[in-house]
Amino acid sequence: KCPDPKPSRLLSSNYNLTSRHARTQAGFNTSRFDRRYVHTHFSPWRSIRSADYEDLEFTCCDLAGKYIIVGTQQGDGRVFNMNDGVEQFFSNCHNFSVDAIKANRAGDLVITSSFWRTPTSILWSIADDEFKLKLRLPDVTYCEFSQTVQDRLLGTQNECATLFDINTGSKVASFTPTIPNLYTKNRATLCRTDELILSDGVLWDVRSGKEIHKFDKFNQCISGVFHPNCLEIIANTEVWDLRTFHLLQTVPVLDQRNCTFSPMHVIYGASLGADRDHDMETTTYDTSFNVLDAYDYSSIATIDVKRNINDLSVSANGSLIAVVEDYSGYESKQETYVKIYAVGVKKSERSEEEDDEEVPESDEDG
Amino acid sequence: MSHHYVVTAQKPTAVVACLTGNFTSPTDLNLIIARNNQVEIDLVTPEGLRPLKEININGTIAVMRHFRPPDSNKDLLFILTRRYNVMILEARMVNDVITVVTKANGNVSDSVGIPSEGGVIAAIDPKARVIGMCLYQGLFTIIPMDKDASELKATNLRMDELNVYDVEFLHGCLNPTVIVIHKDSDGRHVKSHEINLRDKEFMKIAWKQDNVETEATMLIPVPSPIGGVIVIGRESIVYHDGSNYHAVAPLTFRQSTINCYARVSSNGLRYLLGNMDGQLYMLFLGTAETSKGVTVKDIKVEQLGEISIPECITYLDNGFLYIGARHGDSQLVRLNSEAIDGSYVVPVENFTNLAPILDIAVVDLDRQGQGQIITCSGSFKDGSLRIIRIGIGIQEHACIDLPGIKGMWSLKVGVDESPYENTLVLAFVGHTRILTLSGEEVEETEIPGFASDLQTFLCSNVDYDQLIQVTSDSVRLVSSATKALVAEWRPTGDRTIGVVSCNTTQILVASACDIFYIVIEDGSLREQSRRTLAYEVACLDITPLDETQKKSDLVAVGLWTDISAVILSLPDLETIYTEKLSGEIIPRSILMTTFEGIHYLLCALGDGSMYYFIMDQTTGQLTDKKKVTLGTQPTTLRTFRSLSTTNVFACSDRPTVIYSSNHKLVFSNVNLKEVNHMCSLNAQAYPDSLALANKNAVILGTIDEIQKLHIRTVPLGEGPRRIAYQESSQTFAVSTLRIDVHGRGGAKPLRNSASTQAQNITCSSNFLPKPGGGNSTAANAEVGQEIDVHNLLVIDQNTFEVLHAHQFVAPETISSLMSAKLGDDPNTYYVVATSLVIPEEPEPKVGRIIIFHYHENKLTQVAETKVDGTCYALVEFNGKVLAGIGSFVRLYEWTNEKELRMECNIQNMIAALFLKAKGDFILVGDLMRSITLLQHKQMEGIFVEIARDCEPKWMRAVEILDDDTFLGSETNGNLFVCQKDSAATTDEERQLLPELARFHLGDTVNVFRHGSLVMQNVGERTTPINGCVLYGTCNGAIGIVTQIPQDFYDFLHGLEERLKKIIKSVGKIEHTYYRNFQINSKVEPSEGFIDGDLIESFLDLSRDKMRDAVQGLELTLNGERKSADVEDVIKIVEDLTRMH
Repeated sequence: KCPDPKPSRLLSSNYNLTSRHARTQAGFNTSRFDRRYVHTHFSPWRSIRSADYEDLEFTCCDLAGKYIIVGTQQGDGRVFNMNDGVEQFFSNCHNFSVDAIKANRAGDLVITSSFWRTPTSILWSIADDEFKLKLRLPDVTYCEFSQTVQDRLLGTQNECATLFDINTGSKVASFTPTIPNLYTKNRATLCRTDELILSDGVLWDVRSGKEIHKFDKFNQCISGVFHPNCLEIIANTEVWDLRTFHLLQTVPVLDQRNCTFSPMHVIYGASLGADRDHDMETTTYDTSFNVLDAYDYSSIATIDVKRNINDLSVSANGSLIAVVEDYSGYESKQETYVKIYAVGVKKSERSEEEDDEEVPESDEDG
Repeated sequence: MSHHYVVTAQKPTAVVACLTGNFTSPTDLNLIIARNNQVEIDLVTPEGLRPLKEININGTIAVMRHFRPPDSNKDLLFILTRRYNVMILEARMVNDVITVVTKANGNVSDSVGIPSEGGVIAAIDPKARVIGMCLYQGLFTIIPMDKDASELKATNLRMDELNVYDVEFLHGCLNPTVIVIHKDSDGRHVKSHEINLRDKEFMKIAWKQDNVETEATMLIPVPSPIGGVIVIGRESIVYHDGSNYHAVAPLTFRQSTINCYARVSSNGLRYLLGNMDGQLYMLFLGTAETSKGVTVKDIKVEQLGEISIPECITYLDNGFLYIGARHGDSQLVRLNSEAIDGSYVVPVENFTNLAPILDIAVVDLDRQGQGQIITCSGSFKDGSLRIIRIGIGIQEHACIDLPGIKGMWSLKVGVDESPYENTLVLAFVGHTRILTLSGEEVEETEIPGFASDLQTFLCSNVDYDQLIQVTSDSVRLVSSATKALVAEWRPTGDRTIGVVSCNTTQILVASACDIFYIVIEDGSLREQSRRTLAYEVACLDITPLDETQKKSDLVAVGLWTDISAVILSLPDLETIYTEKLSGEIIPRSILMTTFEGIHYLLCALGDGSMYYFIMDQTTGQLTDKKKVTLGTQPTTLRTFRSLSTTNVFACSDRPTVIYSSNHKLVFSNVNLKEVNHMCSLNAQAYPDSLALANKNAVILGTIDEIQKLHIRTVPLGEGPRRIAYQESSQTFAVSTLRIDVHGRGGAKPLRNSASTQAQNITCSSNFLPKPGGGNSTAANAEVGQEIDVHNLLVIDQNTFEVLHAHQFVAPETISSLMSAKLGDDPNTYYVVATSLVIPEEPEPKVGRIIIFHYHENKLTQVAETKVDGTCYALVEFNGKVLAGIGSFVRLYEWTNEKELRMECNIQNMIAALFLKAKGDFILVGDLMRSITLLQHKQMEGIFVEIARDCEPKWMRAVEILDDDTFLGSETNGNLFVCQKDSAATTDEERQLLPELARFHLGDTVNVFRHGSLVMQNVGERTTPINGCVLYGTCNGAIGIVTQIPQDFYDFLHGLEERLKKIIKSVGKIEHTYYRNFQINSKVEPSEGFIDGDLIESFLDLSRDKMRDAVQGLELTLNGERKSADVEDVIKIVEDLTRMH
């Protein structure tokens, strides 16, 4: 066989930012390279610690506008101003660890979930710097807002998924698989158009309530999530075609990782603390998150934060990510904080120093 | 709030697509050209291309294709825009008027789909059953075609192929069948899909071919009866139809990727291919008759010659083809049957293309208060500088060296039926010379009846085949046939003639305060009346206002002392109107003229300014007095006719042509430095010409069609990137990229270009990052490998000759460049930033900033400093060098030892690509993180971040409009303005740069510069505009952004809203949708910007529609609020058009 031709110099020498910049100006399409370049650097931008950090342990977070909402091991929901790191208000939401916390797009509703004590999920309305109880969802261990109009909640109760009306709390529909897969960490999820539900490895049509397909089970824990393009399902390392149910590809780096999607068309994969806790024995500590290209699942970067990751949240515009980091050394006391990273910005010398130190210090302009 | 007006001065010139078909009628052959948001329809005629119509689409054209419905004998046009609007257009010709009708339209966007990253593709089934598009990742969008449907509706099919390079429909298939070239982990493959139109799904794979060439990018479907597809790779061409397979690897093919093709013959046996090197090839399919019909037997490829780097090619007819380009000029070329110097390609016509505009310099080279733009245009071999100015061009055809001319007239001498003039009379101090024009030859001659020992004041052809010569002594009437004196008139006493004016029947002579009215008769001059005025006469005019009349009823006179313009009636020379001109400068030239049916009196003064009035034809009353500044020297006004309209030429140090457009006078500069005298000349060898005299010579030339922007091209033969102007050395510095090819003896330039032909060439020392650091590109290069060689060119500001080329050693790349005065150093330097670009690295690790001094034709390196990355932007900052280097913004001071020393540094960017500075403030445009405002604290020597825009935007250019207002351009073709909120109550709010104005331009701005294309302070303006920023775009457009006050914005916005309703756009895309600000999924309405292109289209409306448009519109005029009438609005909009 003859050697393959060399890639066209014109189309391929876009890897270097400087040569790419000139090509961009000349009208060549270079956005893919820019997007990938930007997602190879993450600079610590703000660190958020509680005033009484010695006693509090952060478990999960969600970036909501200029606020960051954080759940704690002690059952609190705490709200911080992202720009200055100042705590605005908090409330004790659960008697036990908050495992998931999520605000709606308007930022006036927050859903918290705790795995262990009922009521396991609670919907709060946020007004006047206060968490006001709106709905209790007993037995729901994980809950998310519907996607198009956020007027419903999708709750997970083991292998079963239930849609609730957000105002009345009444059940709209329930989805129980005929033959369950029994994923240990099943999280029922809606696709971007709210037409499909994936729960316990089974795909449902929301309107008819019918089971559409049961995907083959390749792992024990993760049921899977919809790709925002509504064409694929990522279930642990497997990528399934949503229309043909063919296995499209396998992405080994996503093994036992939770996928978070950025509007800049990348996927963040991280193995989260909340998942780890339940089978501490088997999971090795993983202190890094992956950045994958949402177009083709190719790997863009692996970022090591040198601490365990309890949760990862992406801002609405994708330019910031918040990571709940958990440091537990042999000698020192366990300490958690939320670190907000600026996407694309290189670590400056200052932030790098700070990164290496364990002394809480959060004033990073930048 | 923040209010802006944005308008295009030069429409986009880059060609997106071109095609040939029968659109305007079944027998018309049309060329259709798409540029950004415009479609041009031309007629292909034996004489060349004739533009028929240009239409604007409210959208950026992504794909344009044509098709012919099965039952039709005309072609239709399909257009897909970047925002997923689709339309099918038909051109209809009714009574020689072409209208373009939207047959069907729709929007095929999908709220969930992720836009395909490689750009959109669209193809049409050869039987016009369906349109297929790749718009979103993993989806194939189809529009089934229904002849009668006016709405185009799309359906998305799941496409398993993810990385799609090209899609086409196969010919001769029972069901519509697409063929796809795609890539997966194994390589690139070709695959066909049959579409079931009823169920709207893919049926089956008819055939496929795995593992075609790894660089294959393009598909050419072959028409029936042959069928099948040609797959174009980087080194090979494959023909495939499912069963039959042929491959060829042409040797001439190796350098560049084929990027476009054109089918030559409808039988599908011949194709033209163009590549990114600008090489044109012909591809032939050899066929054989077999039992299965006609099948392909072999493939041949022949190199034809060089063209502009093509974006698209279309074959017109008779060996002519149109090359649409976006990196150089588009072309009309002819293919010769015989090769001339190895090339079959004969260029016929070039069509200017400024794209991509990578940088611009705005300079006032003539020091006339009027800016010219010098652009870095084009890429690779098609790179050029373009000099763009507003004004009128004179095409010089001949030049006669004759110093000291005091007056000039053209005459027709000899009784001759010919309409042409043959004589030029030139006046000098104390004598007169007469030139005969015979053909292109000019000879000196004599007219016996003329007094040649005196200075002529006036000469003219008059009635009864006679000539007039006026000198200080007398008026001489000469027979044109015999050239002998027939009559002479002298002023009584010892008076001498001072000023004079005549038409073909009347002469008006002034001597001090006395004026004499003389009537020209056959063989005699009859003084009819005389009068003594109160003051001496400075200038006068007797031009008939009505062009059909031979005689005038009025006389205009300009007076000394009194400084007034007086209108006298004829024949009794009665003063009927007096207008005092304010000031003390005497009138030097007065002229009555008619433009577009309106009579004007123009009166030019000794200081280069001019008053103009509207004049009543019977009462001589002057109204609407206005003043403009044309030059700085005494100005003489002469009329001339060009393209059957009357124009006035104002001779001065800033020659100006005065003409009328939409019933308003327009003053347009001429591209000559100085004109003292002029006359129109219509000679056989110089038809419709002008004779123009300056201090030293007479120029015979023609005037360009009165158009606004003039573009002069300086081809470089290599790609310019950055330009800087240096007044002290009267030079430009331009950084260019040349591509050399490695041969056995090292790298050699591919062709002659600016940097290889410079007067002086120097080479930079090899700059290595560290000992042993690899310079892989240069050292280990294989034979045939291309190398980017960067050059710094120093170019003369007047001749645009390359005075010096300083060559850098690959991989050192020039990234930015400026001219600056630094510290207390009296010299002005060129500051050049470079970096080592290794293609395999994500970004350069090392670069340098070099200080050059160009002095006495020598380029000397004065200093350099190493930097740890690429310096993307340089700005002179209070005598220091401000640089955006990678993620840093740094300030370097210039020490007394002539060294650059870093003063301060801030790192808070991804890549600080763009910098602008004003006072202590610095505006930074980032790769992704929008704009940031920094302040330099001089005392502490630090940078402080003042505020930033937190919404991510991929920046393409930034500019500071005023202390608080910042303009940005981002990669999706949007403009936005952010404002500093100094009044904010909290620190948090102060740190934000709220986005106050937004607009979708539809083209990506690469560069902003403060400056203006028009002369400042010419005439009075009714439009209150503030500041002026020029921009240059990726598609070759030039435009203007300016700030306007709130009330004016409100008025224009009202007009805009009305125009949106009245002007129905072709393709039926709402203007509001077009101008929406869209970044990713975020959509916001345009606000804070007025679309000047829409506003200016008001002037193209019929009077009725104008009336509709101003209905209910209010405006403030002279502090008074009133409802606007059509005239008010026309005036305001016309004033706005004067900005460009």
